Amino acid sequence: MVTRYLIVGVKRAFGLQPPGKRLSVLPDDILLASYPKSGNTWIRFLIANLVYHDREVGFGNLHKLILDPDGTPQRDFIRAQKPRVIKTHGPFDPRFRRVICVVRDPRDVAVSQYHYLRKVRRIGDDCPIGRFVDRFLEGDLARRPGSWGENVGSWLATRHGRPGFLLLRYEDVLADTAHELTRVATFGGFPANLERIAQAVERSSADKMRENEKKQGERSTLIKGSRQDIAFVRSAKSGGWRNDLPEAEVARIEAKWADVMACLGYELVTRSAHSVLDSSLIGMLAGRSGAADKPRAGVFSASLSERVQTP
Amino acid sequence: MIRRLFHATKRALGYASPGRNFEVFEDDIFLVSFPKSGNTWTRFLIANLLHPETQVNFGNIDRLIPESEGLTRRELQRVPRPRIMKSHQYFDPRFRKVIYIVRDPRDVAVSQFHFFRKRRRIADDFPIEQFVTRFVAGDTSDYGSWGDNVSSWLVTRQNSPQFLLLRYEDLVNRTEAELARVAEFLGMRGSPEHVANAVKRSSADEMRKLEGANATASVTRNTRQDIPFVRSAGSGGWKNSLPESCIAELETAWAPLMKWLGYEPVLVQRPGAGVPVEVV
Repeated sequence: MVTRYLIVGVKRAFGLQPPGKRLSVLPDDILLASYPKSGNTWIRFLIANLVYHDREVGFGNLHKLILDPDGTPQRDFIRAQKPRVIKTHGPFDPRFRRVICVVRDPRDVAVSQYHYLRKVRRIGDDCPIGRFVDRFLEGDLARRPGSWGENVGSWLATRHGRPGFLLLRYEDVLADTAHELTRVATFGGFPANLERIAQAVERSSADKMRENEKKQGERSTLIKGSRQDIAFVRSAKSGGWRNDLPEAEVARIEAKWADVMACLGYELVTRSAHSVLDSSLIGMLAGRSGAADKPRAGVFSASLSERVQTP
Repeated sequence: MIRRLFHATKRALGYASPGRNFEVFEDDIFLVSFPKSGNTWTRFLIANLLHPETQVNFGNIDRLIPESEGLTRRELQRVPRPRIMKSHQYFDPRFRKVIYIVRDPRDVAVSQFHFFRKRRRIADDFPIEQFVTRFVAGDTSDYGSWGDNVSSWLVTRQNSPQFLLLRYEDLVNRTEAELARVAEFLGMRGSPEHVANAVKRSSADEMRKLEGANATASVTRNTRQDIPFVRSAGSGGWKNSLPESCIAELETAWAPLMKWLGYEPVLVQRPGAGVPVEVV
């Protein structure tokens, strides 16, 4: 026990250990926050391909370009170009002044996480989807990020509508990648023009990422040692839950997080969004940025708040 | 480098405080609040409830209900389970069972202003207007702003059976009824006399006496002795001591949340009114 701590301690002293939660935050750091399986890796490819347009970005070096406190050694944090872009799956963290928050429909997140956990051998192929959803709803599968509703809700409740916060919906990034990446560039102050944006989008396509996963996947801290018969870059689409998720499970997810989903503009199929928002705290906090007294569905959705704010 | 190796060794042996990174156990119970929201008083109430045989005071409170961040890794491991610990942290998904105390932010601001004078972090002539601006921005604590802290817990946990929300104001007005709720939440069968006794032993007068007798305890060590830690122990003091501009600033920042908690804004009715909103 003590030996393990000492080894970690010595590695830490030489900067070889990832900083984890001991990371010291700089005022201009940009946090890329998302719940697991919400498109974080794709957005990291997009940003890395934009900022480091003269380098080849892949699974092998991604963690050195967009830093991961749990995977990137401390010395790379010190050497990194400023402003640093730092990845997290964590909930609200007040230390960061600039936050890009990526959200995705929790019904798709559930399907994606189910396949990912099979890939990394956390659940077997025979795990019933119902039992998986039990744990997904409780946030048992990811204790540090919390549940989807806790994670996303904690960011929206504290930061939405304030300077230094950019909300991206995975679905919007899919629908118009160049447009959303331009918003990111403006927010982060990354030099960009049409050509560079187009190039970054092209280099980060699902096909290019799949190709790169085959070549460099084993060098990635994300997927090292996982099952090769299940891909990390899977469908790269939205709305798959309509075919893959039984209606009973859809109903349970909506029952638990209808208010956050409605705020984000994710259409509910088992209940009415308005009745949900009227009585919820997050709906009331959402009302802050609206002129109407009653909160409206989609008040948080990125398409409604085009204002890109920088501190 | 030497210093870092020294710290690494200290950490390895468990003599360093892990801060927010401490190990959480499934059966931990947390008493969470933004600073200056009645946490110490509630700790006294709960400690007196749990230990009717011990006189709880400023000297032993840190042992009875320790602050999770104040202990080293070794000390944390030695706290008897289930641990009941105090924390000011903003939302932490690892905390399973949480008692959250909330207080009117207008009173919290006044209380923290005096506490900062006591701790010599600001001088007596520091303008309260300037303090309130920093308070609203979240620069007066490491735990987010008042609104960050409160909403991060409420939005994530308000519907959980493992979450108990206490308003400081209710604790002041009907202490016994609220402490009975706490006892039930903790799974204790406290008789009304038992609860009443804990309330009596944690009264503001009693706590002032204890503070006087133990002026060097952790909460008050190295602070100005002319400003007490146990101050008014009331609610609504802001109405007399907070300038209007400060009230407006606080209400502009947090009116929806304040309303939801029953802290009726007096100057700002509809925050954001007049701000143009794009509707697609």
